[in-house]
Amino acid sequence: MTSFLIGLFLATLITALFTMRLYRLILWYSLNSLSLALLAITIGFHIGDNSMIVSGFFTLLLKAIFIPYILKRISLRFSLSRQIEPNIPVYYSIMLIPALLVFTFYLAEPITNMLSSNANYVAISISSLFLSLLLMIEHKNIAPKIIGFLSIENSLFLLGTIATNGMPMLIELGIFFDLLMAIVVINLLFKQEEEVKE
Amino acid sequence: MILYIAMILLMILLSPLVLSFIKMLKMFLLYKKPISIFQGYRDFSKLLSKEIIISKETSQITHIAPYLVLSPLLLTLFFLPPVSSGEYYVSFVDAFTITGLISLSTFFLMLLGLDSASSFGGLGSSREAFISALVEPAMILTLFSVSMMANNLGVGQAGLNLSKHFPYEHMASFIFAGISFFILLVAENGRIPVDNPETHLELTMVHEAMILDLSGFYLALIESASSIKFMIFASLFASLFLPFGLDLPVVLAIGVFILKIFFIAFLVAILEVNTAKLRLFKVPNLLGIAIVFSFLSLITFYVLGA
Amino acid sequence: MIYLLILPAFIMLVLSFWSVQKSRFVLPLTSLLILFPAIKLFFLPKPYSIWGTYLVADDLSAYVMLVSSIVAIGVTLAMSTLGLHVEIKDRVYARFYRFFALFWIGLTLSIISNNMGIYWIGLETATLSTVYMIKTNSSLMARKEAWNYMIVGAIAISLILFGIILIYTSFKPLLGEEAMNFSALLKSAKEIKSPFLFEIGFSITTLGMFIKMGFFPMNLWLANIERASFYPVAALFSGVLESAVIIGFFRFSKIAQLVNPLHLFIFVFIYTILTIFIVSFLIYRSKDFMRLFSLSGVEHMALIALFWASGGVFAALLHFGAHAFLKPALFLSTGILESKGKYKIAGALRGYSGVKGKVFYFLTALFLLAIISVPPSPMFFSELYGFGAMVDIAKKHQHLLLMIGAIMLLLVFLSIIFYKFTEIYQSMKYEGVEQKRVVYGNEVLALVLFAFSLLALLTPWSFEFLRSIS
Repeated sequence: MTSFLIGLFLATLITALFTMRLYRLILWYSLNSLSLALLAITIGFHIGDNSMIVSGFFTLLLKAIFIPYILKRISLRFSLSRQIEPNIPVYYSIMLIPALLVFTFYLAEPITNMLSSNANYVAISISSLFLSLLLMIEHKNIAPKIIGFLSIENSLFLLGTIATNGMPMLIELGIFFDLLMAIVVINLLFKQEEEVKE
Repeated sequence: MILYIAMILLMILLSPLVLSFIKMLKMFLLYKKPISIFQGYRDFSKLLSKEIIISKETSQITHIAPYLVLSPLLLTLFFLPPVSSGEYYVSFVDAFTITGLISLSTFFLMLLGLDSASSFGGLGSSREAFISALVEPAMILTLFSVSMMANNLGVGQAGLNLSKHFPYEHMASFIFAGISFFILLVAENGRIPVDNPETHLELTMVHEAMILDLSGFYLALIESASSIKFMIFASLFASLFLPFGLDLPVVLAIGVFILKIFFIAFLVAILEVNTAKLRLFKVPNLLGIAIVFSFLSLITFYVLGA
Repeated sequence: MIYLLILPAFIMLVLSFWSVQKSRFVLPLTSLLILFPAIKLFFLPKPYSIWGTYLVADDLSAYVMLVSSIVAIGVTLAMSTLGLHVEIKDRVYARFYRFFALFWIGLTLSIISNNMGIYWIGLETATLSTVYMIKTNSSLMARKEAWNYMIVGAIAISLILFGIILIYTSFKPLLGEEAMNFSALLKSAKEIKSPFLFEIGFSITTLGMFIKMGFFPMNLWLANIERASFYPVAALFSGVLESAVIIGFFRFSKIAQLVNPLHLFIFVFIYTILTIFIVSFLIYRSKDFMRLFSLSGVEHMALIALFWASGGVFAALLHFGAHAFLKPALFLSTGILESKGKYKIAGALRGYSGVKGKVFYFLTALFLLAIISVPPSPMFFSELYGFGAMVDIAKKHQHLLLMIGAIMLLLVFLSIIFYKFTEIYQSMKYEGVEQKRVVYGNEVLALVLFAFSLLALLTPWSFEFLRSIS
């Protein structure tokens, strides 16, 4: 089950890299977060860690539902461009993404020998960090960059969930708080732009 | 052995039904009056009774090619994974052979398009070449990776192995392969995001453009070839990615298999209703995703074992 | 104690929602309050536990806290006459203070935290609030740079968290949930089971911090941002935010030093030399004050990191203090020199009359000379001690000749910067036309504050204190 959800996580992220429409991208982000939340809840039940289950539910509410909704609201309100063409042509992405994945998988190979549980998935979370960075790099528009930032947050959460079997509760709550603050700041930045235009 | 032959005959017989089922479902979902589910058979018999008209510019190829389009596909039917665990199957045929046979059929289809010397035929052939060049590597990689997960390079054996030991520990790579194969299924059979089988608009045609000059019996051959092709892909998907129900009693196992085929057809119909056709030069993007996923599936399996 | 530290910021946050006219004069006064808890913290016995094992103040954090609060006060002092130099709406002041309060809360958390997670949370809060502070300037460039900063900052911050999680993973089998504590990590660094995992985590974290300080591959973004924002914001950036980042570097590299000192040294050494190499030429080509100073800030940060990694704790801390006081002072004086948006270097220092003008002229010239480490400046001493530490570490590993070569190379780069600054100083003083210019009292006061703090750094007492921090 863990493997299945991790597969879904990476699959949604890669599909997001090829997406050319903003709402579709938000949908992929939401699915990405959904698989992450389900993953955290499953692992939490598996090892009997209540705080992990709680943070899984937080992820579900915040990242899979609330933030995509807010992003859609923002994009409607400030009429952001819905066509998001990547800077990197798809032909190159097709070669670049597998190369990136192979690189990170081999980079993480010594790590996988060191951890006992769920070792392989560290490699996947490192590669998803790089893929989210690629998502930020390959777009010029601001909205996909924000989603790239949020996906980086997701891959961090994946690493925290999988490699460490959950970070201390306090830290996770702090991270959620910062995420909310980031959303507020993004909203404010857009708002200011609106004011200046008027 | 009898079951084996019977199953192949059943697949050939069922294949027009599946395509008409998709068409029916689509029309139903679009609030049109749906066609009969047996429309495929009706078309076939109608075409049989019609006269064959061939343009005088064509060479001998037009007379040979329809048979050669159909026959590799018929041959492929013999190599598919078994439907029930007691059934006879060919175990040694691997991803390369199956992909090769399918592309042999595609090759003759392209020749057929070029042979009529009409402008549409050449256009359709070049587009088909463009798409199938991208499909083939992805297809080989996907089938290869699934058969690696099943511990046997033979596709037939792999289907059986998967049903016996489902690779729970390789679930991630299994999913990637599944996504990739579904995209290939859609692309190679000319379904909507890649090609629209129902229009005759020159901007969008791929498959239809190549067979525009055919009529009568030859057209019937090509039409049945395309429905058999869908059947091959659907049954590969059913036995490699939905590997359950093989251990049931024979009749039930066949019933489950047919249900799976219709489920896949249902998925395709839903996808067709919900997406718009891609522009031709956006098609590589979709197939690019398929290639990335098939490659990813292979390396995830090899490097991470996940 | 935690309430005392955060209370002034909290009051500021509340007051900033008050009507603009009333809060206009109250806000700067409130910001003065942040100094007292910092002083109190400084004189408490160390290590002083503020909140369990999460927030613990030691000598290092008390020192950084004190320096940062002095800088912040100086900046807010000069801030009140910002409107006389640039065009700005009254509303913007309130916004600035609102986000300054958030910034200060985050900064305090990250400086006094003894926990990697809390350190990160504080840093993220501080970063996100500074994004909005850039936008107080409503020019097109500032808007663009705010987004840029949001993106780059987010990447850097995420890299830091990623590394932190990896470090946590590497120590978790040993320490359990305690593996977030810096002090616990320090204690058991020698017994670590998987040093490779730790080192990957450390290098990712450090990469994030280096990006945030504008090191090698990302040299120009900091300069662009400081150019785009108002000068007090730029001063806060270079004086305060960087200190929160560098204290994290201090703490992480302390652990890395115990795990594998040679790897740490080589990593930081190559990275900083590359940075200084590029930055020195960027400085040579730069055409306005703000970029010049912010690039030189990058150079000083690189030097601090290098000194710290080579074991010259005293040198690094002295350099850090000097940089933290000098850079904001220079940014503030830049704001005055570039008054009303004209930034001509030629003749910028001419035309200041009256007592205030004379004092301003004198101090600015002094700061300019101090930043390129002309002898009585603390920078001179810190560089001397720092190079000494580098030679010491080379003696241990029998690479003395190589190290001396590297130091020579560094000196060449530094001399390029030296040359550029002297040229600019001369051009400011002797070229161009003389114009009537105005300086306001509070700005001179802020500069005097910085000058006195610099002098205080040079006293034997503070030398002794810095030496006692290990």
